[in-house]
Amino acid sequence: MIRLIGSDGVFQTAIFLDHLLGRGSGSQLLLTGRYYTSDLFFMGTTLDPGSQSQGDGGARMLTFHLRKSWSRFGPRLGRIALLEVPREEYTAGISIDETSSVTFDTPNILVGTSRGVVPHLSRDHCSSADAIRWINVPFESFMEQTPPIPMLQTGPDPLRTFLGFDKRKHIVSLCLRDPMDTREMPPNGNTYVSALCVRGVRKVTLSEWREYAYKLKPDIVFALSDTPFTAPPYSQKRVTKSIERSVSWLADMLRPLKSSVPSCSPSVSGRLSQHPLNVFVNMAGGTSIPAREVFAHSLAEELHGPDLEAVRPIKRLDDGVVGYSFHLATLRGSVPKPLGPHRRNQPNDVFQLESPNMLQDTGKLIEVPTPGHGEVPTSSPLPSSFAESPVPSDTASLLQASLRQLPEGKPRLVTGVRSPHEILKLIRDVGVDIFEADLAIAAANVGVALDFVFPLPPDHGPLEECKKKDVGHNLYDHVYARQYGRLSDCLAGAAESQSQFPTSLPICPCIACSPRSPASHVYHSKVDVQSYEETDRNGKVMYGPPRSRGYLHHLLHTHEMSAHTMLVAHNLAVLDRFLSGVRDLFLGGDGDDTGEGEGKITRFAVEVNRFESVYDESMEVLRMARKCWHKVDLARGKGRLGREKEKQALIEARGVSGG
Amino acid sequence: MQFEVIATCNTTRARVCRMELAHGVTMLPTFMPVATQAAIKGLTAEQVESLGITLILNNTYHLNLRPGIKTLNEVGGAHNFQGWNRNLLTDSGGFQLVSLSKFTKITEDGALFASPFTGEPTMLTPEESISIQHCIGADIIMQLDDVVSSLTVGPRVAEAMERSVRWLDRCIEQHERSGRCDRQNLFAIVQGGLDAELRDRCLQAMIARKDRVAGYAIGGLSGGEEKDIFWRIIKQCAEQLPADRPRYAMGVGFAEDLLVCVALGVDMADCVFPTRTARFGVALTFKGPLNLRLRKHAESIEPIDEDCPCSTCSSRMSRALLHHIVTIETAGAHAVTQHNLVFQAQVMGRARDAITEGRFPDYLRTFFENYFGSQGYPEWCVNALRSVGVDLLEGKDFPLIPGSGAKWEYSDVA
Repeated sequence: MIRLIGSDGVFQTAIFLDHLLGRGSGSQLLLTGRYYTSDLFFMGTTLDPGSQSQGDGGARMLTFHLRKSWSRFGPRLGRIALLEVPREEYTAGISIDETSSVTFDTPNILVGTSRGVVPHLSRDHCSSADAIRWINVPFESFMEQTPPIPMLQTGPDPLRTFLGFDKRKHIVSLCLRDPMDTREMPPNGNTYVSALCVRGVRKVTLSEWREYAYKLKPDIVFALSDTPFTAPPYSQKRVTKSIERSVSWLADMLRPLKSSVPSCSPSVSGRLSQHPLNVFVNMAGGTSIPAREVFAHSLAEELHGPDLEAVRPIKRLDDGVVGYSFHLATLRGSVPKPLGPHRRNQPNDVFQLESPNMLQDTGKLIEVPTPGHGEVPTSSPLPSSFAESPVPSDTASLLQASLRQLPEGKPRLVTGVRSPHEILKLIRDVGVDIFEADLAIAAANVGVALDFVFPLPPDHGPLEECKKKDVGHNLYDHVYARQYGRLSDCLAGAAESQSQFPTSLPICPCIACSPRSPASHVYHSKVDVQSYEETDRNGKVMYGPPRSRGYLHHLLHTHEMSAHTMLVAHNLAVLDRFLSGVRDLFLGGDGDDTGEGEGKITRFAVEVNRFESVYDESMEVLRMARKCWHKVDLARGKGRLGREKEKQALIEARGVSGG
Repeated sequence: MQFEVIATCNTTRARVCRMELAHGVTMLPTFMPVATQAAIKGLTAEQVESLGITLILNNTYHLNLRPGIKTLNEVGGAHNFQGWNRNLLTDSGGFQLVSLSKFTKITEDGALFASPFTGEPTMLTPEESISIQHCIGADIIMQLDDVVSSLTVGPRVAEAMERSVRWLDRCIEQHERSGRCDRQNLFAIVQGGLDAELRDRCLQAMIARKDRVAGYAIGGLSGGEEKDIFWRIIKQCAEQLPADRPRYAMGVGFAEDLLVCVALGVDMADCVFPTRTARFGVALTFKGPLNLRLRKHAESIEPIDEDCPCSTCSSRMSRALLHHIVTIETAGAHAVTQHNLVFQAQVMGRARDAITEGRFPDYLRTFFENYFGSQGYPEWCVNALRSVGVDLLEGKDFPLIPGSGAKWEYSDVA
């Protein structure tokens, strides 16, 4: 172990780490002995021999190439690929079949599921949506049954098969808890995490989590992490424990199966870890910069002795990690809501937390009391801008603190972003690669059609009036009742590009804006051919005119589910298009010299400022929409139209007399 | 409308027809899913079309309230509004006036009801109903009829029947005046309650107007009447209605009801049942309904039906996953809705093939055996099909169930 003692700052880390690793405290407890449950349980009895190997389909290896990167924490372009590694690869080193891979560029989005499905989308819509490439599955809803039902699925690719995602199109990751759920929870234990399902709280142990990961074979698995879901501030002790547990739980995840194949050939470029599972780690430490640094350090440092033995062949925990994740919802610093019964179709919490704009609203973030037992000095151990006094940290600083000691070439993933503005800032200030698209789904839940692009068109001058543009349209609003155009002003439907006078606007490929006539029809009898004589012979894809705002307005007010289906698809497409705008900005130009990079970063910063000056970051439109959603929801049932009209008339009467 | 009978069953009165309307060809017999508010619940128009469905139903009463005629005129009709490029049928709004509004009063002029907008008395006349349906622009429109519950008895039934005939004349006049007869087709609705004599009189009067109506519906049924009376009325009407006009049984949706109606000579039927029951987690199959909410499905990795061509079953979505999401995630409702629509279409599609290939009686026997089997056949189905020369029990020994005999998967079965 690198002894860090020598300066005041460093000493603190050493204490942390010594405590963590069971050294210097007189304790003989080691990582391997302390938090692990029985190895025998996992190795011997629970898993059938077949599931311990990588199965017939071989393994999947996640690679990441930084295509353009100019600084550790600046904007960057990458390419994520999930490669299918044939089984022989392990022994013979045969080249990888690049065709059996899913590839996409970053920055990009990841789409979360609810109870295993992308909210409001049927399977055919989910597979036809171009914006859906990476799907994350919080597992906790399945804990209501023992064993969790996906475990019953057979075949080489159980999780994907069970949930019906497309091997050629989708990367599927598995985490235990819904990253958006910050409600108060009973505490985690040393060897388990408290998870929530409709039947209440379930304890999920480390060995169970390993079992799920190995058996279900997600493309990516998130190691368990100890995040407290109680009201902050957290004591020094709690923060220390959280880090200790998170480190040892990661180590447990990385502990190889006894019979597992040796790690695969190191020749694959862009390869991220030496572990057969693609493990993402949540960067622990809460809102304390020093705590985050300590956690990062424990990933980066070389392991020795039993710790090393436990995770061989990797030498550092980071060697077994493919990427880093950050859950902003848990960093917002708001008091967790008490755990109530799960409400159906609850609008997502992403916008409901106290501060809509965390990057500027640093006062809301809780700075953990300075670590130490009184005698320990109170400064950060590592070169950083943090001085003795507790400085309020913004998100970027928290993320940077976690990433500073770790390799740049691994993907950085963030959940819980609230606005496109926040996404831009995290790209600019941290270099985040993957954003969970929860804001798109949350907006769709409350009837908002997103409408923004990046970069703004050059002719888009500054707004004269002080009111900023909304990032979307609250389609409940009666002003949309008789608007028959497409959902977004700044994205056109595909039919417009097929017309005589093609549009110059970018195309929104979603099912609402670019509806395509079905490529095939189910035939229910032989004579059905007469129904499709003209259409099915002509193989050309035909796009219909976009669904109108007026139609979606109607569907929302009549409580038709189709509205949310189209809005989810649309909003994901808008967000996808937005990030492809970010990528295009950096890809443009031909040279690759450093001067050009600087120029692009400057241009990006200018465009981010322009975006911020034009669009309303407080997302007022969502707040309004949520109110409308709630009203229509409450009014359900027979005779609601009459009640609604009465209210509307009242409002209008008041508006007339008032104005 | 171009209507052509292309095959008839040698035993029963079943037939296969080709019906060409302004938005394409629909092969009959067919089941029409209901898109009350201009959307099949949770699905998109393209999805419904891809399921092999060529004719759906919108409700005039609902679309008249929202989005309203102004909007429909501005967008050029309900087809454009919902992006549906195939055939569409609208009802007249009369049924909802009775079922949804407490204050409806029928006068000779029309139906007087309390407007849901203002509470003010509003009159829906036959002329008005047709005008609204002209704005909606459906390929098939229905006359305004005087609807009474099928359980009503006494002189009111005769009055309603006679008024429906008079209103048909007013609807015909209004429709012909509009100059839209080339694009929209008016159907008459045979009334007369459960009284065979009234039905005969209504049939006679309406058939006399054959040259001015494109098709006939059999109304005033599916309201909780005895099934034994239901099939007799259907049979009576279908027998007398002209062969060169499509026949539409309103509000029929259970698979066994559909097949009996087809055997009696019915070409079209509609019902909210398959889409509504889907939202409550019930998947329809050729072996009977599956209540996916029941615990017994929680661990089944099987799809709803291995042979079903719907997108849910062909993606092999398991009953276990459906059990996990139905009635909680909207995507669960979408998955079962897609399946149930395909099931209904398959029941009718297989009937078309069987009729064309001269084996419809066999199809009926196989269907009932798979669907009901040893649980027992509804007695009324056996009687109804015997009346057209098919003995479901031929060489079999299954019990007969009196009453409706509809099959359901109850939790105590689990």
